[in-house]
Amino acid sequence: MMGQEIYLERETFFHGLDPRTKMFALVIFFVIILYFENPFWVAPMSFLVLAHGIASRSLANLRPVRYVLLVLAVSSIILWNLFANGKTPLFWIIERESLSYSVGRTLILLSLVVEGIVFLSTTRYEELTLGLIRLGLPYRVGFAVSTAFRMIPMIVASTYAVAQAQRSRGLDLDTGNIVQRVRKYLPLLVPVFLSMIRSTNTFVMALESRGFGARKNRTFYLQIGFKIKDFICLACLAVLFTAATYFKLTGHGMIAGLQRF
Amino acid sequence: MVILTALSAAIYAAVLIPFKGGIPIIPGITEVRPANVFPTVFGLMFGPAGAWGAAIGNSLADLLGGTLTWASAAGFFGNFMLGFIPYKLWGATGLVPARDMSQNVNCRRKLAAYILAAIVSSSACATIIAWYLDFVGLIPFAFLAIVITVNNLLAQLVLGPPLLLLLYPRVRRWGLVWTDIMRPEEVSGGFLRFAGAALMIVGALGGLIVGLGISTDLYGQHLFSFSAGVKGRVGVCLGVLPFLCLIVIASLMLSGREQFSDEDNT
Repeated sequence: MMGQEIYLERETFFHGLDPRTKMFALVIFFVIILYFENPFWVAPMSFLVLAHGIASRSLANLRPVRYVLLVLAVSSIILWNLFANGKTPLFWIIERESLSYSVGRTLILLSLVVEGIVFLSTTRYEELTLGLIRLGLPYRVGFAVSTAFRMIPMIVASTYAVAQAQRSRGLDLDTGNIVQRVRKYLPLLVPVFLSMIRSTNTFVMALESRGFGARKNRTFYLQIGFKIKDFICLACLAVLFTAATYFKLTGHGMIAGLQRF
Repeated sequence: MVILTALSAAIYAAVLIPFKGGIPIIPGITEVRPANVFPTVFGLMFGPAGAWGAAIGNSLADLLGGTLTWASAAGFFGNFMLGFIPYKLWGATGLVPARDMSQNVNCRRKLAAYILAAIVSSSACATIIAWYLDFVGLIPFAFLAIVITVNNLLAQLVLGPPLLLLLYPRVRRWGLVWTDIMRPEEVSGGFLRFAGAALMIVGALGGLIVGLGISTDLYGQHLFSFSAGVKGRVGVCLGVLPFLCLIVIASLMLSGREQFSDEDNT
């Protein structure tokens, strides 16, 4: 079960980076990985993501979502085959090109999910808010985004708590096919939403008691700033982005003979 | 309002994410989305907070669900309209009785207003997203517009009314409906509201119908085929653009102040 915080308290190089550096890294990665469709070109970037996860010791957060990732991977491999065609038959309706394409898309999908989780595992919500504000977002918007991030695991945890409470009253949530199970879970969502909505009142009171929005210009207890390691990281990102863009513009990373629908 | 924005975004994202691995329609672009009921319901209950929550929630779900792509920018605006249009249109069409503007579906006229808001917001969302993705040459307008409209509409019509009936009385009791939180002067005044409502309906439905007509007749796209026809042509772009402008103009004309009761004003 996912806890209420995705952030993992670790002493690593990536945890100590400025949140803006991490955000730039996330955006650049999300842009360049979409440049390529050939799995041999996507794979190095997937390895980079994996290395990022290992170095930041944040892969533990993948454990609660491992089945979701498995379902995503399998459905993606099957479905992307149906959205592409090729020239070299492999078996049944599958061609070598369409299979390559589906493997590439699946690697991209999994890399995006993992990189998103690594980002949240290495960045506190407070850092995220402050980073967004320093990038020019109004304080209220930055606060809303980071609070939403914080609330998602709370909703998941609340759903589990309600499900456990109903199980203890004899509700059988573990039998039946997928449709039957979803139908059993649906009525549980109403108390989850109601408890979350009701908790906003308490949240609002807590914020107002701390003077939220009382002054136009806010000061922050947390201080962030670029350090040498941020500049090194940004330089590496710039090189990676330039190289990837060059390869994209020169036509590398595509699958010859692939026809996308 | 900030907390309600965050709450709307979090609930929307939390329900969207599990379905990313559920039944994809176009992998990486869209999937069966029962969560699409929330922007409408939250837009009606929480007003602007619900609309911004839908936009932010969709982006968070894209980020955490691994589907943050070029389409996500259009998804932000499309999902914003999915919550914004019901909020603005609710009291402007004349369907909701003036003596009771509460954002619930507890009578036939309000149910009719809800259905109209659902159809218009679904069409506007689909038109915005499909227009952009056809323009950049990713997905054909005809196929994507139909998929998004039907996907949104099914969730909104099947799940929306019961959810609103369940949630609204409690949310009202807790004083969290937007008319309880905002003051009338904080809501834009708008002008010519009935005309604004008519323009919004024409903009959303007209954009969808004209876009479908141009993309299928001129460019050979099919409503239920991903591969037929050509995309990224200027005809769809220019044909739908005036209707998108109509949606923006209508958004400025509509207000929402009419939804405040005398009790709210005192």
